[in-house]
Amino acid sequence: MQPILSVHNLNKYYGNQVGCKNMNLTLYPGEVVGVVGESGSGKTTFINSISGNLIPDSGKILIETGNETIDFLEISESLKRLLIRTELAFVHQNPRDGLRLDVSAGGNISERLMSIGQRNYGNIRQTIFKWLDKVEIDKSRVDDFPRTFSGGMLQRLQIAKNLVTSPKIIFMDEPTGGLDVSVQAKILDLLRKLVRELNLSVVIVSHDLAVIRLLADKIIVMKNGEAVESGLCDQVLDDPQHSYTQLLVSSVLRV
Amino acid sequence: MIELNKITKKFTLHNQGKTNILVFNNLNLKINPGEIVALTGPSGVGKSSILKMIYGNYVFQSGQIKINNHNIDHTYPRNIIELRKNIIGYVSQFLRVIPRVPTIEIVMEPLLEINSDQDEVREKAEKILLKLNIDKNLWNLSPLTFSGGEQQRVNVARGLIRNYPCLLLDEPTASLDSVNKDIVLNLINEKKDSGSSIIGIFHDEYSRKYLNAREIDITKISDAK
Repeated sequence: MQPILSVHNLNKYYGNQVGCKNMNLTLYPGEVVGVVGESGSGKTTFINSISGNLIPDSGKILIETGNETIDFLEISESLKRLLIRTELAFVHQNPRDGLRLDVSAGGNISERLMSIGQRNYGNIRQTIFKWLDKVEIDKSRVDDFPRTFSGGMLQRLQIAKNLVTSPKIIFMDEPTGGLDVSVQAKILDLLRKLVRELNLSVVIVSHDLAVIRLLADKIIVMKNGEAVESGLCDQVLDDPQHSYTQLLVSSVLRV
Repeated sequence: MIELNKITKKFTLHNQGKTNILVFNNLNLKINPGEIVALTGPSGVGKSSILKMIYGNYVFQSGQIKINNHNIDHTYPRNIIELRKNIIGYVSQFLRVIPRVPTIEIVMEPLLEINSDQDEVREKAEKILLKLNIDKNLWNLSPLTFSGGEQQRVNVARGLIRNYPCLLLDEPTASLDSVNKDIVLNLINEKKDSGSSIIGIFHDEYSRKYLNAREIDITKISDAK
C-alpha cells in the first residue's frame, strides 16, 4: 500500500524564528496521525504548512490521488485550490473560522458540493440531510443560521461541511479544543466512526494526550519546532524514549 | 505462532536521574498454535511487559519478536497496525473507551474493522454479551459506570468477538465471580481449540489448570533477575 500523504524535510520559518523544522510524516489510507506538544511547539505551523494554509520555506509534500502522485508545493495555484476543495479538508479549532455564520447550516454544507459542480437542488438537499443526520443535527435546523447553534453543534456542522465531498485527507487542529467534556466525547465518537466508515486519513493536532490516544494510530511529538519522537501511538505513550516525551506523559493528570 | 528470541528490554528514565532498569536479558519464548502459555512470577517481574512487547506497546533494545513470521519492528509502525488489525488480539486489564459510547458498539468495533455488515456484526456482539451474562438493559449504556466485573466482561467480549490467530490476555478473569470466570475460561478454550496461539497472565491457579496452560516462570527464562 502507498501512503496517501508523505511529507519530507519540511521547514517553515517566521523570519529568524523557527516555525517547524525538518518535519517528516507518512500517512496511509485509513490512518490517523496525532501531532502533540506544548503550546508554541510548532504543531499548528506544521499542520498549516502541509494543508495549504501556509507556504513552507522548503521541503516536499506528496499526495497520492489514486492515479497520480501530486507534488503539492509545485502545482499551480488553481490546481491547489481545487485539491483543497475536493481531496483535502481542514477542521479548525474554532468552528467559526471554518463556517460562514451568515449562511444557513444547509448552505454551509452545500458550498463544497457546488464548488465541484453539483447543481441539482434535490440531490444537494438530500446530501445535506444525509450529513446532518450523520453528525446528529436535527433536520429541522437545516435553514437556521449557525450563530443560533451551540459550540458542539457548530463543530459538528463544520465536520459535515468538510466531509461532504468525501475528501481523502482531513486536517484537524484541536477539533475538541474549546468544548466541554461531554460534547468532546460525542465528537470523538463521531470522528472515530467516520474514520472507520469512510476510511478517512487524518492528521490531528491536539495538546490532549487522552484525545490522541483514543483517535490516533501514530503520533509525532513536537518541541521547539522539531519532532523529538514519533511512531506507533500506544508505544510512544506507554514506553516513551525521549526525555521530553517522558516528561509530557508523566505530567498528565489522572482522574 | 508467537516467538521471542534473545530479547533485551530496559527502561531509561531520563527525568529521574537517567535511571536504567534492565527488565529482560536474553529472553526466549515460543507459543505454538493451539497452545496456552501462562506467565507466572512475582509482581513486578515483567509479565505485563512481555504482553506489551508482543503487542508493540513497548519497544525492546535487541532480539526479535515474530508473530506468524511477521517481525514486530518499530521502524515500520504501519506493519504493527496491520498485525493488530489482522493477527493479534489483546484483552487488557482495564477498559479504555470513549465516554458515552454504548456497550454494544464497543463490542462491535473490532469486528467492524473487517466486516462492514452492521446487522451481522451486531448479532454476533449480542450473542457474546448474552454468553457473558451482560444484562440486555445495559447494552445501550456506556460501560464506564458498570461494576468492575461487568467492565471486565465487556472488555473480554470486545477482545474475543473475533478469531485472532494470536491472543494476549492480561488477567482476563481477575475480578470475576466463579460462574462468570468459567464462562470466560470456556471462551478462551474455544479460541485455543480453533488454533490460536494464546499467552496470558492469570492470577489464580484454578484458571491456569482449567485452561491446561503451560506455565512459564519468567525469572527462569530471562537472565535479568
